[in-house]
Amino acid sequence: MRRYILVRALYSLITLWLLVTIIFAMVRLTGDPVLMKAEPGADAVYLAELRRQWGLDRALYWQYASFLGNLLQGNFGHSFEKSLPVRDIYFERLPNSLKLGFAAFIISIVLGVPLGMLSALKVNTWWDNIGKMIALIGLSMPGFFVGMVLIIVFGVELGWLPVLGKGSTIFVWGAPSTWLPFWFRDWPHLIMPAFALGWYFSGAMLRITRSGMLDVMGSDYIKLVRLKGVPERMVVAKHALKNSMIPVLTFAGLNLLIMVNVAVVIEVIFNWPGVGQLLYDGLSNRDFPMVQGVVLMSGLMIVVLNFTIDVLYGYVDPRIRLAR
Amino acid sequence: MTKGLLALAATLILLVTMCAAAAADKPILSGPLAKLDIKPAVIEGKKGTPKGTLTIAQHFGLDPGWLDPLEHIYALTMQTYDYLVHDAMIKPMPQGEFTYSLAEHAEMTADFLKAGFRLRPGLKFQDGQPLTTADVKWTYENFKGAHAKLFRDKLEHIQVVDDRTIIFHFKQPFLEFMDYYNGGVSGIGWIVPKHYYEKVGRDGFKAKPIGAGPYKFVSQQVGVQMEFEAWEDYWRRTPATKTIVVKGISQLAARVAGLQTGELDLAFGMTGKLLPRVMADKNLRWVPNFTSVWYLMFPGYNEPDSPFHDKRVRQAVSLAINRQFLSKQESQGIGPVWGNWVSPENRDALKADGKELPVPEYNPEKAKQVLAQTKYPNGFDFEWYVPFVPYIDMGERVVTDLRAVGIRGKIMQVEGPAFRAKIGQGRKGYPGNRTIVQNIDPRPGGAKASIGVYAVCGSPSSFICEPHIDELWAKHQASTKPEERDRLIKAIQKILIEDYHMVPMYWNPFVHAVGPRVLPEGKAFERYWDTLHAPYPWPWEVWEVKADR
Amino acid sequence: MATIPVGATYRTSVSRVARRSYRLVAEIPAIPLAMLAILAFAAVSAPVLAPHSKLDPVKPTPGQCQAKFGMADCPYVDNVPPFWARGGTMDTPLGTDFLGRDVLSRLMHGARISLVVALTGTLFAGAIGTLLGVLAGYLGKWWDQVIMRVTDAWLTLPSLVFAILLSSVRGPGLWNVVVILALVFWSRYSRAVRGEVLALRERDFVRLAEINGIGKLRIIWRHLIPNVMNTVMVLFSLQVGVAVIIEASLSFLGVGVPPPEPSWGLMMAQERDSLMEGKWWLAVLPGICITMLVLSANMLGDWLRVRLDPQLRNR
Repeated sequence: MRRYILVRALYSLITLWLLVTIIFAMVRLTGDPVLMKAEPGADAVYLAELRRQWGLDRALYWQYASFLGNLLQGNFGHSFEKSLPVRDIYFERLPNSLKLGFAAFIISIVLGVPLGMLSALKVNTWWDNIGKMIALIGLSMPGFFVGMVLIIVFGVELGWLPVLGKGSTIFVWGAPSTWLPFWFRDWPHLIMPAFALGWYFSGAMLRITRSGMLDVMGSDYIKLVRLKGVPERMVVAKHALKNSMIPVLTFAGLNLLIMVNVAVVIEVIFNWPGVGQLLYDGLSNRDFPMVQGVVLMSGLMIVVLNFTIDVLYGYVDPRIRLAR
Repeated sequence: MTKGLLALAATLILLVTMCAAAAADKPILSGPLAKLDIKPAVIEGKKGTPKGTLTIAQHFGLDPGWLDPLEHIYALTMQTYDYLVHDAMIKPMPQGEFTYSLAEHAEMTADFLKAGFRLRPGLKFQDGQPLTTADVKWTYENFKGAHAKLFRDKLEHIQVVDDRTIIFHFKQPFLEFMDYYNGGVSGIGWIVPKHYYEKVGRDGFKAKPIGAGPYKFVSQQVGVQMEFEAWEDYWRRTPATKTIVVKGISQLAARVAGLQTGELDLAFGMTGKLLPRVMADKNLRWVPNFTSVWYLMFPGYNEPDSPFHDKRVRQAVSLAINRQFLSKQESQGIGPVWGNWVSPENRDALKADGKELPVPEYNPEKAKQVLAQTKYPNGFDFEWYVPFVPYIDMGERVVTDLRAVGIRGKIMQVEGPAFRAKIGQGRKGYPGNRTIVQNIDPRPGGAKASIGVYAVCGSPSSFICEPHIDELWAKHQASTKPEERDRLIKAIQKILIEDYHMVPMYWNPFVHAVGPRVLPEGKAFERYWDTLHAPYPWPWEVWEVKADR
Repeated sequence: MATIPVGATYRTSVSRVARRSYRLVAEIPAIPLAMLAILAFAAVSAPVLAPHSKLDPVKPTPGQCQAKFGMADCPYVDNVPPFWARGGTMDTPLGTDFLGRDVLSRLMHGARISLVVALTGTLFAGAIGTLLGVLAGYLGKWWDQVIMRVTDAWLTLPSLVFAILLSSVRGPGLWNVVVILALVFWSRYSRAVRGEVLALRERDFVRLAEINGIGKLRIIWRHLIPNVMNTVMVLFSLQVGVAVIIEASLSFLGVGVPPPEPSWGLMMAQERDSLMEGKWWLAVLPGICITMLVLSANMLGDWLRVRLDPQLRNR
């Protein structure tokens, strides 16, 4: 088991290192970052000082080494556009993203899991077809389109929900202890973006629940339970549900992280100040340290999660750890 | 007894005022002095208690760098924040383009080799520390923003006479010194607290700045929101509004919605598709700000293989643009068609009303005829049209006009800082030589500042490099006679327009709108925009809003 | 001789593939096929059938100018409503946009952009990914380690995040989007194809070919690639939908297809402000087009998956 964990950890580290290298190469391909500060009237001496300060006057291999060294110390560089260290800005925004991701996550589960179960229990009936259709539409509508439709219906036509992103409470956001109250105070602002983001993932949840449920319902174990004469409702509620939820929850955990990271378009539409908006700002301002930082953090989260999942599976299922 | 005391008090007050007045006029420098036109500050002192909250929407993301005057490169947007947190020696105020602020008196010798300032008595920073000439000297020496090289190269040394008196000695005559030291032009005149800046460092200062201005910085969510609170000890007057919140909202629709729901009180940059909606809303009031002119430039035009090398091609571009209709679509026709690219607010800018410079013509047929005489009788494809963001729609309208005469291209969208960074590199910011740039630059400091940045060969942001223009510019730089300088600058402007190096479009009305909480009611609120050269409503301490419920 | 059975395997495999593809085509479900056919027809016929130009404004009638601006003549009339609303005309059935351009024509040309970008992008991705996957699976050893580690690193990032990163390097432009899609999606193929090849490697016909001393390249080309085509086709059909969404998202964010070209995502972004004015159709119609295209691609992909993989029936 220890060997298995070590191998997985090594693979994760290699993945991270490759990712970092790819990103470094891409960002350096785009030219001299200091020129981003070269606004009309900028001073050449100031630019040279910046270049020195950011280490851009050194050889490329040295820059790469210092880039890696800085990353190890958690230093992602300075944002060009926002003038502060990327790390500080990122962690200031992350709670907003988590909040949005978590709300979307709940929506995707509330919509996806029951429908998926229904679809699996009534397999190849009308219910199933409707469920499959909903899943397909969910996976086929881009989040920003769902967002726009929501804005039209609930924001403009009905006027029920605010369209301006986080409300006037935002600047009071600070200490984690205030998490709960603001969670509730922000909720009208949260509904539409969370729904637009969760929509896509509820389609995916529906599918995975359905197939997980079908797997379990067809297993020998359930057949045995049925043979024992347990009523069908109990079979579903007590045995099938419990067993089919493991893959669903793993998948949901991965989804939560992905939601935090792919909310770019949704955050832009709803003006929600999460890390996705940072990525968009960084992109449209050619603020490479920002883009690089957000992308790296996104990669890091997913690598760590994948590693955790691998290890957990290794514990649960000995076949996996022996096979590798 | 009481009478006697009163009389004594009255005499004392009289004496003190006289002394103060005498001190203000006491000369700092010896010898003949240059004539300076600096207006006295209007001191209103203690005035009620601050109340209410003013919520402002900036039309792009907020940069904490704006809070640090030492690194001000491009002055105008940043000054919104200078006027909140910081204070300058001399700055534009409704009283005049040059108005005393921290300085109560300034002098410059007639040979422009020395400049002296005297600070007001009893000045403090927001943390209670005194503001002295040591801070003024430190700010000058550590400034890195616009014109920093000029300030550094010209300086011989700084002489701190006492806590309130300071003299700058220059190596050569520094004619533009007062123009550029003015808070409206560069960051160097905005005084930064030495003790605090050295303690917290560059990043620390941007994260939580301290200044001598009317508003204390409270907190920020980077890029999204900043909050400021009235500093009741501000020397000029007690700020009228208690809290000022600035939000960065780049989406026009979100700004308009925010104004209409009352989440915002003041929003900048109302334009295009939603301007009619703002105008139609009875709860909202709007005010245009005629700051500067939209114009096109052709980076790399002087390379022979550029299609824009031929003056007639540039002329065809100018003829193809339906400026009247463009202004109607983008600004509801408020913006007048204008034929000079230099901001008309500059004293030395040529007026383009048909007298000094012609009003540009719209004539697509003629454009096609002109084009037919060139290498491109059937038109041509250029590469990118780079519009000033967020005015992408406007760019698309111009591109569509150009298509109609056969000049075809795509639009490149780059956001604010990236756009300015490209412009800042001048011709080098645009690979190839088939690009059109749409710019606007309400640059203060006279037409010479704009020409010096864009239209002379050596400038880092140079787009135009013509020997005959450079000749005139060299004469201008060498001259010390104001009339001659004025004449030369006007001659350069004429060349730039007549040779279609710059293709101006219309004078942009930068429309701002306010919500119902802003006082005074009715049209009188427009007085907040009285400061010359200001695209934004400075100073902030006079803004009044209704008290919070 | 020894080569005959190998060649025979190859020939039968070709004819089998051909027969199977014929059956596949005959059984494609009608709904997605019809949707796809409509969109593809619009895309192909746009230059001929589109009522107006995709880039130039519709020439207005004097009456329209008078009504909108109070002018006798005007270059264009913006925001003409669609036929079902008051003031709509059948000349511009879906109305005009903020520049007076015909929305229907732009949507038709938009289909062209979406299909070309998504199909070529996914095709390139498929080619690169299949090749690398086969190499990793068949050659094994270092090839496998290197290719799979890079694939893992590549798969780490969500595709949209990765596409955004790439677009910040490449800049906007239609062909840049194609390159981005190819660069983002190849890793999805290489992973699956490698797994498939690992199993194929042990199969008799590959072993036999190896024993007969046939070159590795030839084995890859003749035996491995034809046999992983099923998997590749299923992946391809599923990736096309995602590619359409990515293209639309990039264009929506202003880093994809540059204006004035009528990309659907771009059209939605440009008409965002019009939502407030109640002109919902300007943003919603392109959205419906995107959804239709992605939906039909996904339905076909699902069906293909079930069809080609008997284990997945009923899923």
